[in-house]
Amino acid sequence: MALLEVKNLVKKFDDKDILKGISLELHEGQSKVVMGGSGCGKSTLLRCLNLLIQPTSGEIIFKGENITRPGVDVRKLRQDIGFVFQHFALYRHLTVQDNITLGLRKLKKMPAKAAVEKALYELERVDMVEHRNKYPAQLSGGQKQRVAIVRALAMDPAVIFLDEPTSALDPQMTREVVTVINKLYLDNITMLCVTHDAFLAKYISDSIVFMDEGAVAAEDIAERLFYDHPDPRVRQFFLSVIDHR
Amino acid sequence: MALAKGAGYTILVTIASIGAGLAIGLLMAVLSRLQWKPVALFLAVYLYVFRSVPVLVLLFIVFFGLPGIGIRIPPFTSMVLSLGLVSGAYLAEIFRGAMSAVDQDEILAAEAMGMNRIQSFLYIILPQMFRMSIPGMINEFTSVLKYTPFAYTVGIPEIMKEAMSLAAVTLRGVEIYLAVGIIYFVIYKLFVMFFMVLEKKFRIPGLAAG
Ligand SMILES: Nc1ncnc2c1ncn2[C@@H]1O[C@H](COP(=O)(O)OP(=O)(O)O)[C@@H](O)[C@H]1O
Ligand SMILES: [Mg+2]
Repeated sequence: MALLEVKNLVKKFDDKDILKGISLELHEGQSKVVMGGSGCGKSTLLRCLNLLIQPTSGEIIFKGENITRPGVDVRKLRQDIGFVFQHFALYRHLTVQDNITLGLRKLKKMPAKAAVEKALYELERVDMVEHRNKYPAQLSGGQKQRVAIVRALAMDPAVIFLDEPTSALDPQMTREVVTVINKLYLDNITMLCVTHDAFLAKYISDSIVFMDEGAVAAEDIAERLFYDHPDPRVRQFFLSVIDHR
Repeated sequence: MALAKGAGYTILVTIASIGAGLAIGLLMAVLSRLQWKPVALFLAVYLYVFRSVPVLVLLFIVFFGLPGIGIRIPPFTSMVLSLGLVSGAYLAEIFRGAMSAVDQDEILAAEAMGMNRIQSFLYIILPQMFRMSIPGMINEFTSVLKYTPFAYTVGIPEIMKEAMSLAAVTLRGVEIYLAVGIIYFVIYKLFVMFFMVLEKKFRIPGLAAG
């Protein structure tokens, strides 16, 4: 059984169909990337899946439970889904360490000492322990995103969503972050990642979902989707995003 | 000696009014987040009224006017209430401005992490709001200090009242009022220094105070 199963998901904003019946599956340990043009509904999709946005219709089955039904504990659900944003969204008034322990202490009710230990363990994974007492403003973009990733991981979620995690970074910092996400991929962390970056997509995905105007237009492994797909729309898109060096 | 006792009252009135103002301002700022129509209307009226009525007029209404309808309020409470209501209105505006400067992405991140609205307010919005409000708060607190001489009109023995009686007895008005000016300056300086130390202690890189 899939960890996450989306059936015919529709989202309308002011009568405009933004998501037009999305269906997809994500299994435990699987990593999928969602690609597609700007404004095709990728962020809306991720935000519907953890109910930051209320879907108009369709079903979302998470861990066997239909979470679109009323009476679902939304906060519990969100604690089980890590979320990484394009612009990091680190809490500016908290140190790196406190950014990670906040959720552990206040939501998971972990004792302070255990939370700090957990934070240090997670920071070690992304080589950021020495920066634990710094504030977000004192970090580079790449460092911020590494912290944001382990802030999500520290909650031990069943799956991590990433919304364009490298889009705000320069090439050097992008490589830093791709390396980190690739490590998660190799550790079989369940992920759903939206990106425009073909390089990132290729190195962190078991399969890639291509979205076009609010619908899934194709799903395949990177090699076939990027270089050799029968659908001309798909060929056209990847011709433009892939850096053919 | 009488002036020193007067200075004590001045400081007392200032601190009590600041306390009242902070409590009222914070309450108003929290209420403004509810975005509930009747509350929003009440807030708008409150802010409008208490920023336009002069403190002295308000004080007279409270102290001399209310007894007319059977409500008798002692001088000190009248002063603190009047000044607190006015500074509360200004502080509410400062807090609201600071709250709107909190990054929406961080609030969304807190929500995505599983926090409810009370939690994200307590752990994300409130701490950032306080730091960003510090310059505005210092401004408002010093302006409260400068309104305290009105307290003499309802008979509170603060500096101004003491100075006036002294001047009447000794006929040395120039020296006495000069001394009063200097005492105000010293109190002002002490206040500002206290808040600067506080600001430094809570300073966070990247969270600009202002
Ligand atoms: N809250 C909203 N209200 C109205 N329209 C929205 C809202 N959020 C997104 N949209 C619209 O939905 C479309 C898809 O947005 P989004 O999911 O952010 O696209 P993507 O992430 O793929 O670039 C866009 O046309 C956008 O203008
Ligand atoms: Mg997007």
